[in-house]
Amino acid sequence: MWKVYKYTLLDLARNRFALGYALLLLLVSVGLFMLESDNTKALISLTQVVLALVPLLALIFTIIYFYNQYEFTVLLAVQPLRRQSITRAQFLAIGTALLVSFLFGVGFPVVAYAPSPIGWTLLLTGAALTLVFCALGMFIAVGQRDRAKAVGIGLATWVFMVLVYDSLLLWLMFSFSDRPIEPVIVPLAALNPIDLSRILVMLKVDLAALLGYTGAVYQKFFGGAGGMLVSFVALLLWMLLPAWGAVRTFARKDL
Amino acid sequence: MDRIAFEGLGKRYHDQWALRGVNARFVEGEVVMVIGPNGSGKTTLIKCLLGLVKATEGAIQVNGALVGNDPLYRAAIGYMPQYAEFPRELTVDQLLRMMNDIRDARSGSTDDRLIKLLGVDALLDKRIITLSGGMRQKVSAVLAFRYRPDILVLDEPTAGLDPVSATKLLDAVVQAKRNGATVLITSHIMEEVQRLGDRVAYLQDGRLRFALPPETITEVTGEPSLALALPKYLAQLPPAHVESL
Repeated sequence: MWKVYKYTLLDLARNRFALGYALLLLLVSVGLFMLESDNTKALISLTQVVLALVPLLALIFTIIYFYNQYEFTVLLAVQPLRRQSITRAQFLAIGTALLVSFLFGVGFPVVAYAPSPIGWTLLLTGAALTLVFCALGMFIAVGQRDRAKAVGIGLATWVFMVLVYDSLLLWLMFSFSDRPIEPVIVPLAALNPIDLSRILVMLKVDLAALLGYTGAVYQKFFGGAGGMLVSFVALLLWMLLPAWGAVRTFARKDL
Repeated sequence: MDRIAFEGLGKRYHDQWALRGVNARFVEGEVVMVIGPNGSGKTTLIKCLLGLVKATEGAIQVNGALVGNDPLYRAAIGYMPQYAEFPRELTVDQLLRMMNDIRDARSGSTDDRLIKLLGVDALLDKRIITLSGGMRQKVSAVLAFRYRPDILVLDEPTAGLDPVSATKLLDAVVQAKRNGATVLITSHIMEEVQRLGDRVAYLQDGRLRFALPPETITEVTGEPSLALALPKYLAQLPPAHVESL
């Protein structure tokens, strides 16, 4: 697995999109810190950008890279290698490249301008989201033969998680506001990795009111270390399950 | 010993059989030209051998061992696909080193003659993204032959190659055959099929109609070339005729 990982990473190190992604994040991060005199406010703005941009670009980049490499992946599958090791290596290499881009583009500015618990939490959740959406991208790409269809599913997944899911939760909460809905809402919020990440940052910022009703409910239930732990375990599952699904699907797939 | 044995091989996609009841044995030092109309099952047959698709029924043996889930049997196979794609930002040299690492090839154990013969030595420092389709095909040919495989599977190997390189590649096939390799080639170029093939395996509608020496086909039909003989020979066969090979 590490042989494929090493050379895939070498290929990604020169990839223009990965470099452009890092520069875009750097530009946005530095821009926000320079425009906003209060670093905490800049961090909150940066959180919104990271929560929207990082999942989208990680998802789409992973899908497109997988399709660009498809013929070579088939050639690798003809070598004396287990298919599982090929998919794992590719996932780890794409994840590493995107993580490095994220840490370069967001990590350096955060360390320079706002090395605070909020900043560390943002970096941690951003890194987790990178891997989660990389895993989701792999899962989508491996399952679809058609590139355009896979990109479409990726975009729909992103729109659903960024916009639709929160709206559905709000609708649910308002519709059942006369009943004790919180025990249902909390696990439902954990089903969306972007909501989870938002909540993790929110718990550090203590600005629940600005971050939606879902976040407020979550803060009420998981304001302490237990909440953080549950959130990180949920994010870990969000990363591991699609990655496992991608590895399993690719191993059984007719190429 | 048979190098490759297909035993009642069949592959079904959804409710459509792409390959059905293929029985064939190929021995060492044999060049088999796999031909047939589009959608006849050539690619599926090759993919079954390479482990890219899982057969619905039947079995495949390579070097006497049943092909299962263990990928190590593929160390005996060199494959040249019809369209070669590699990681675009790697140099050719890095790609060759990557394959060496994957194959656990020791220095000096590889057959590097094609690198010089096809002019790939001049491309070593170039990134894949800068190579033309033909250049990539040359790199692909090098990778297929480099590890002295027992079995070579070449899918339309001369498509996209210039005439001189195509001739050199076909000479390399002849050399590999002399060294004992079993070579499976798909091709639509009848001159190539006649020149190289010890046997012509003809697939139609997912069934292997025959696997005969080209001379047999030309002799039976009285035609001088395989291109003219093949349609005549096919016309003589009963519709459901399937040779037992």
